[in-house]
Amino acid sequence: MRLLTHNMLSSNIKGVTNGFPLRIEVEKVVEKSVDFNPDFLKNMFAKIEYKALVEASRIMGYAELPDHAEPSMLESDDFLRKFHHALMELHLEEGTLVCPETGRRFPVNKGVPNMLLHEDEV
Amino acid sequence: MVLGIASASRFYFKRGFGHSSVIRSSFCSLRSSSDMKEVSSDKGSSGSALAGGDSPALPPVKVGASLRSPSSVVQSTPEIEKKYVHRVYDAIAPHFSSTRFAKWPKVSAFLNSLAAGSLVLDAGCGNGKYLGLNPNCYFIGCDISAPLIKICADRGHEVLVADAVNLPYRTGYGDAAISIAVLHHLSTERRRRKAVDELIRVVKKGGFVLITVWAREQEDGALLNKWTPLTQKYLEEWVGPGSPRVRSPSSPLTLESIPEAEENGSREQLKEFTDKYTDLRSLQLRHLHMNSQAADLSLASLTKKGCEDQQEFFVPWHLPYHRAEVSGASANAVASGLAKKDDKKGAVVYNRYYHVFSEGELEK
Repeated sequence: MRLLTHNMLSSNIKGVTNGFPLRIEVEKVVEKSVDFNPDFLKNMFAKIEYKALVEASRIMGYAELPDHAEPSMLESDDFLRKFHHALMELHLEEGTLVCPETGRRFPVNKGVPNMLLHEDEV
Repeated sequence: MVLGIASASRFYFKRGFGHSSVIRSSFCSLRSSSDMKEVSSDKGSSGSALAGGDSPALPPVKVGASLRSPSSVVQSTPEIEKKYVHRVYDAIAPHFSSTRFAKWPKVSAFLNSLAAGSLVLDAGCGNGKYLGLNPNCYFIGCDISAPLIKICADRGHEVLVADAVNLPYRTGYGDAAISIAVLHHLSTERRRRKAVDELIRVVKKGGFVLITVWAREQEDGALLNKWTPLTQKYLEEWVGPGSPRVRSPSSPLTLESIPEAEENGSREQLKEFTDKYTDLRSLQLRHLHMNSQAADLSLASLTKKGCEDQQEFFVPWHLPYHRAEVSGASANAVASGLAKKDDKKGAVVYNRYYHVFSEGELEK
């Protein structure tokens, strides 16, 4: 699971008002290289919740992303590359995603999160 | 929506990332018996989450069927889907995947028409046939079948296990969403409607959604005869509104009583069978996106489907004996009545539930 995906995931358990972001518990992180594409990154920058990305990347062991970001920083190649690395190249291979409201744990195995709910949670 | 990105640079999301791009054969891996246990649809690795992992803040657990609120009736999975969709696809996953290679032209055209750099969400992605089809877009797929998702993950795609009726995505994140041959597996109109609502919710305002389902009206009317209609008795027991009922052991709803559908044993014949169903109701829901924020979908009244207007079917899937998975999960399936053996055709026959869409139904 990439942080791009994590930035989109939200706990959809019944009764939860804000299930985003899911807290990450790391067991295994893998880095996989992805082609660098500035246009895509700029498109994504507008969508993502940057603060959640920074926190998640730190938990995954990458501390290079600045705490705050402005759209103007997208002109900087240095920032774009760090953004690219955090968003696209860090994979949570094994771990858990935790709902911020209920504490419900969603497992991540072999890079695949399982977000299915139990009958009593829908 | 303004199409076109000025930059001419192409980029690729490498599938495999240094893995070989050869699809790793799943023939040797037997499905674990846990797939065939009588569990709710959210099986798989989340099964252990019930034991002690949950915080005390969770509401009390068991609710009787009659106490369920309308919204939970929509979202909790009806028995017919568990038996005739989820368990079947889990059991046949590798075989099913090996037959899903032909890409439907309308879907390809839609995906290739999207702006470069789009984020595309595939809800019910199956074996990931369409993931990465447009190399200029980024795809995230989900499916309720963990074995099918595993096949996608082995090919290097970004995927997760989730329910199309309740997508775990933030609102308005995607640029486009697709639902290809998925909605017809949902057994009630409310669930189908909810799944459509979800597709619209997860894309941004002005984004595109493509939904493809099997149509009742086929060019070759004789093909419908190959499918097994659910009789009125089954419609009452399984598909009617209200809480799903537990299937009693003495219920006649075993596959013995359903007439055998026609032969489609070999892989070549299966491909032919699939290709014939090109008359699909592909629908671009572009116009709904003018109101995607308002989510202005008024509920049509539930229509009761009479026998003469048959739309609920069992469609057979013949899983040949020589497929390794037959000895594992399918032995259980035959024993529990989910499937039956056909020695004449050399295959285990599963029935999959489909609601086929009549003309105009999808637009409602």
